[in-house]
Amino acid sequence: MKKKNLLILLIALLCMATLFAQAAAETKAGPRIVTFWSLFTGGDGEFFDAIIDEFNKTHTDIQLKNDTVKFDDYYTKLTAALAAGNAPDMIVCHQGNLLNYVPSGQLLALDDYLKANNFPVDDFVAAPYNACKFDGKQYAIPLDVHPIIMYVNMDLLAKAGIKDIPQTMDQLIADGIKVQEKTGKMGIDIDNTTAVYKAYTLTRLFFSFIYQQGGTFLTADNKAANFNNQYGYKALQALQDMVQKYKTTPAGLDYDTAMNEFKLGDAAFYFNGVWATGTLEQQKDLNFVAIPVPGFMGKPAAWSGSHTLAIPAKANIDPAHVADILTAIDFITGHGEMWAKAGHVPTRISVQNSKAFADLPYRKGYADSAASAVAPPTTAAWDEIYGTCSDLLEYAVVNNQPIQEALNQMEATVNKIIATY
Amino acid sequence: MIPGNKDNRDGWLFSLPFLLVFILFMLYPLVHGLVISFFKWNILSDKVFIGLENYKNIFSDEKFYTSLWHTVEFVLITTPVLLVLGFIMALITTSKSPLKKAAENVFFIPYIFSMTVVSTLWAWIFQKQYGILNHVIGMFGIQPVGWLTDPKWAMWSVCIATFWWTAGFNMILMSAGIKQISSEIFESAEIDGANYRQCVFRITIPLLKPTIVLCLILQIIASFNVFGQVYVMTGGGPFGKTRTLIQYIYETGFSYFKMGYSAAMSYILFFIIMIVSVVQYISLGRRSDE
Repeated sequence: MKKKNLLILLIALLCMATLFAQAAAETKAGPRIVTFWSLFTGGDGEFFDAIIDEFNKTHTDIQLKNDTVKFDDYYTKLTAALAAGNAPDMIVCHQGNLLNYVPSGQLLALDDYLKANNFPVDDFVAAPYNACKFDGKQYAIPLDVHPIIMYVNMDLLAKAGIKDIPQTMDQLIADGIKVQEKTGKMGIDIDNTTAVYKAYTLTRLFFSFIYQQGGTFLTADNKAANFNNQYGYKALQALQDMVQKYKTTPAGLDYDTAMNEFKLGDAAFYFNGVWATGTLEQQKDLNFVAIPVPGFMGKPAAWSGSHTLAIPAKANIDPAHVADILTAIDFITGHGEMWAKAGHVPTRISVQNSKAFADLPYRKGYADSAASAVAPPTTAAWDEIYGTCSDLLEYAVVNNQPIQEALNQMEATVNKIIATY
Repeated sequence: MIPGNKDNRDGWLFSLPFLLVFILFMLYPLVHGLVISFFKWNILSDKVFIGLENYKNIFSDEKFYTSLWHTVEFVLITTPVLLVLGFIMALITTSKSPLKKAAENVFFIPYIFSMTVVSTLWAWIFQKQYGILNHVIGMFGIQPVGWLTDPKWAMWSVCIATFWWTAGFNMILMSAGIKQISSEIFESAEIDGANYRQCVFRITIPLLKPTIVLCLILQIIASFNVFGQVYVMTGGGPFGKTRTLIQYIYETGFSYFKMGYSAAMSYILFFIIMIVSVVQYISLGRRSDE
């Protein structure tokens, strides 16, 4: 009996020892660590890792520690960590997602720290920088803008006898038809059906065309839909006609197919985000240009997302530590030409004017798109609005739904969604 | 209880680790979920009590009904097919064929692949432009089919991938059940001149009833919880025509941060599954006892 009791006691004590487990205390003499999470995977991930490695190589006093999360789980994990107070020092966050964290005070307001550390605020392009302001306070620093742009297969244009890139919608349609007649290849490559990836391109173009005409997607206070008018009508009509009337675009086209059709040289005009450049430029014998979306329906404007760097707010945060984090942010954004290799447009003016950036193929051609980039409306309801409208637009375009009926349905749905927030 | 009786105390001690995990990770979230469903909450802010409003909103939410219908569609298509497939596979693996060991492996190996692997694999098989399936039917002169992009086919395509992936599980359960049937019954039936078909329909299936009912209940519960393969293969598309209820619950909670509403929907699903399982058990389970 006694031996058994002793054994149980010993085992219990051993187990309790794990309660005291902790990482070895960091030596005071080592470099200061800045932890961060990044959502970049694949090609983006590799380019971002290269910038981090460069920082760690050139800085002996501060070291960056990266913990990449697979994109799908990123915001779930980030939200959980913020709620539990376990977030890292610095995070990558889409501009559109910042609004999920700002009202609850999860992100640090940076204005005072930027001033105290002489952060090069003036070196940033105005539009993306201001998109990170909420209630007049700066909550994040933009790393890049990634708008929708137009890719054009120059060989197919030459074969079809087209000399200039179309600038109006009528020209685009006419050129698309001409390419199909003369070469048999797809005229206008816009994905319109969700398969593995959602066909967001359709929604992004609908969004862009409304802004090109001078309209807005939601009202100024973001409380109601604002696209059920002549702007929305013209935008949806054009997208539907491409599939149903002029047949420049096949129905049932999904994201993967659209990308690969252009990559293999089987489509003339392709619309997608700047991130496609990295994949397309690796295709040998693909003679293409990448340009900002022309103002087909008025002035140039294109849907754009933006990656930003933000600092989670923590109780008793040390200003010296924030200074270290800002040093890292300054470096990362300042080396935008390295990030531009992934196809994104850097947000620092000095980078855009640098030779390193100009030497990259294609990037200079669409750098101007940053000026006409349109960020999504800043409302907590945006994710749901965007996803639901995507379904409805897909349906309207592929099934030839009467335009007014489609717009009425979308408007009612969007207003209903906004009411639940 | 006899004081000093070691059995009870030891029983509790040994169950304690599991009980702790069970309470922490299963009971507590269950109760907490129910509590949340009466609040409006976006994780990062304070909860706001709104009583039954979440539940009221569910009944006027069109997306809830369409999502529920897509889940029910999936259940209706996959349950009978998986039961039949599992049964046929079990017959093969318990037959006298020399291939039965190889067959058992071939039928079961898909089950050990992860959901993402299976879904990505089949998504590319079904790909309209570059997938191998359209390539093969193209050789017979048939036009390419939008397996995942045509609303007529999308749910069926996901179901086909599911058949390949999970039929092996039913096979294991059923072949275990078949092996328990005493061989004497089959031998005496053979002596009486019964052929194979009669053996299967008059002996195997009736004696396998408890296992079949078990598989049915498990299958329906699992099918009502479908999310992964649909989400990866079609993203809920085309035009949201394959979005399952779990996907809607997930998006509402973790993409739109409407935690309370999401919890309320998950409890409605819980009640639906519970009612279906209880009805099944009462109507089918009891009969086998008679």
